Amino acid sequence: MTIPIVPKLLRSHLSDLAERDARIDGRGRWEGRELEVQHSILPRAEGSARVRMGDTIVLAGVKFQIMTPYPDRPNQGGLMCSAEVRPVAGRNWESGPPSPESIELGRVVDRGIRESGCIDVDSLCIIPGEKAWQVILDLFAISDDGNLFDAFALAGITALRNATVPAERFEVGEDYPLSVSKTPIMCSYHKVGGRFVFDATAREELGGDERIHITLGDDNNVHSLQKGLKGIFSAEEFTEIMDNAIERTEKLRKIVDEL
Amino acid sequence: MGGYGDVQMIDENGVRADGRGPGDIRPITIETGVVPVADGSCRMTWGTNEAIVAVYGPMEAHPRKIQRQDRAVLDVAYNMAPFSTTDRMRPGFNRRSREVSKVTQDALESVVLLELYPRSKIRISIEIVSAEAGTRCVGLTAASVALADAGIPMTDLVVSVASGKINDVVVCDLNKEEDNYGEADLPMGIMPNSGELVFLQMDGDLSQDEFEQAWRYNMDAAQEIHKLMVEALNGGDSQ
Repeated sequence: MTIPIVPKLLRSHLSDLAERDARIDGRGRWEGRELEVQHSILPRAEGSARVRMGDTIVLAGVKFQIMTPYPDRPNQGGLMCSAEVRPVAGRNWESGPPSPESIELGRVVDRGIRESGCIDVDSLCIIPGEKAWQVILDLFAISDDGNLFDAFALAGITALRNATVPAERFEVGEDYPLSVSKTPIMCSYHKVGGRFVFDATAREELGGDERIHITLGDDNNVHSLQKGLKGIFSAEEFTEIMDNAIERTEKLRKIVDEL
Repeated sequence: MGGYGDVQMIDENGVRADGRGPGDIRPITIETGVVPVADGSCRMTWGTNEAIVAVYGPMEAHPRKIQRQDRAVLDVAYNMAPFSTTDRMRPGFNRRSREVSKVTQDALESVVLLELYPRSKIRISIEIVSAEAGTRCVGLTAASVALADAGIPMTDLVVSVASGKINDVVVCDLNKEEDNYGEADLPMGIMPNSGELVFLQMDGDLSQDEFEQAWRYNMDAAQEIHKLMVEALNGGDSQ
């Protein structure tokens, strides 16, 4: 991704807004954009989802492959998660090998899902030591207006929760739903004009500083954290966003679970 | 063009496995403005194909060596998303997507009024998020709608459609099975107002008569699809 020149005017405008506790698009500090979550929308994927948060739109697709289990874990399958942000999603994204930004995106989302233990890798074994399922979650950005992290994480878990293991196509039995026991949810906060806000837009990201991503599981257990970009934050600031994340993830989890 | 007639795909009454007649196309929907951050965009579903196209520009052409003093350059990238196919598609360019990108670019450069934007670049991203058969046709057709949605002046839209041959019968708009086991495939890019061509490929085996029939099917289908494109661009959903 080419990092565009940040206009000083945008930064100073954002801090003026922050002083009045306002945001560039009129939202409150902890207010998310309008959210739309759909699943099973891609006919070729074994599980899929589309998430729209304001003008940010992403797709997630689940595919399965048969792998040979690793010698030290003969009874386990695998989960792979990768994110791609191609030039379709915005004028600053360029083609070519995956940029550090999109690799970070994929890895942070991957950790949240993997570490929550929502997918029981033992259940992915077909023949111990010989055959196991590899679950591949591909995250794909359609339109980037900021906070791809939360959109990807939400689309990812929604696609997994609605995925079918294509056993018939691989001639290893009958199709069955992929078992996903938990619903890890990520919430991201961006420091804009000197204070953290939830669900930043592209303009807030451009004129802001560091960001923090928190993934919480069903019991509010913490499964992944990531601080990104240049900036310094205090323990008090972190406590404040963690409290908000606890509240927020609960609401989002309900949306995903009820789909 | 895999098999040679061992799979029955059309019966003696000319009814195809999916219920279509020889000249019928699969259902199509077209929608514009689907990538809010882009200057123009289009989502097109065609059977179970789905393409999303975003247009950015005209914008600065860099690196500078790609600039043309007298006209704009197009930068067309056709890509299949990893979950768009039955077996997962590994991300990244391959020879096929490079070729499709190139012929699509050649087709669009023939209709866009490039000389209006010297030294600039117009970027066109074609993403196939669900593939059945005929994705290059979907991509090219959707790209011309996205360019129009971006307000880029063109001499005409481009409608791309393919006809082919299954069990020795010429049919229009091959689906997945027909594409796999059929005997020929003739994709064309047609300017619907003049009937001229900006894109043409063919592989397989067609007699002169069969070729003419396939050509005619494509020309007729182009008019039908053109109506849906105009409807979508006029703000109505084509459904």
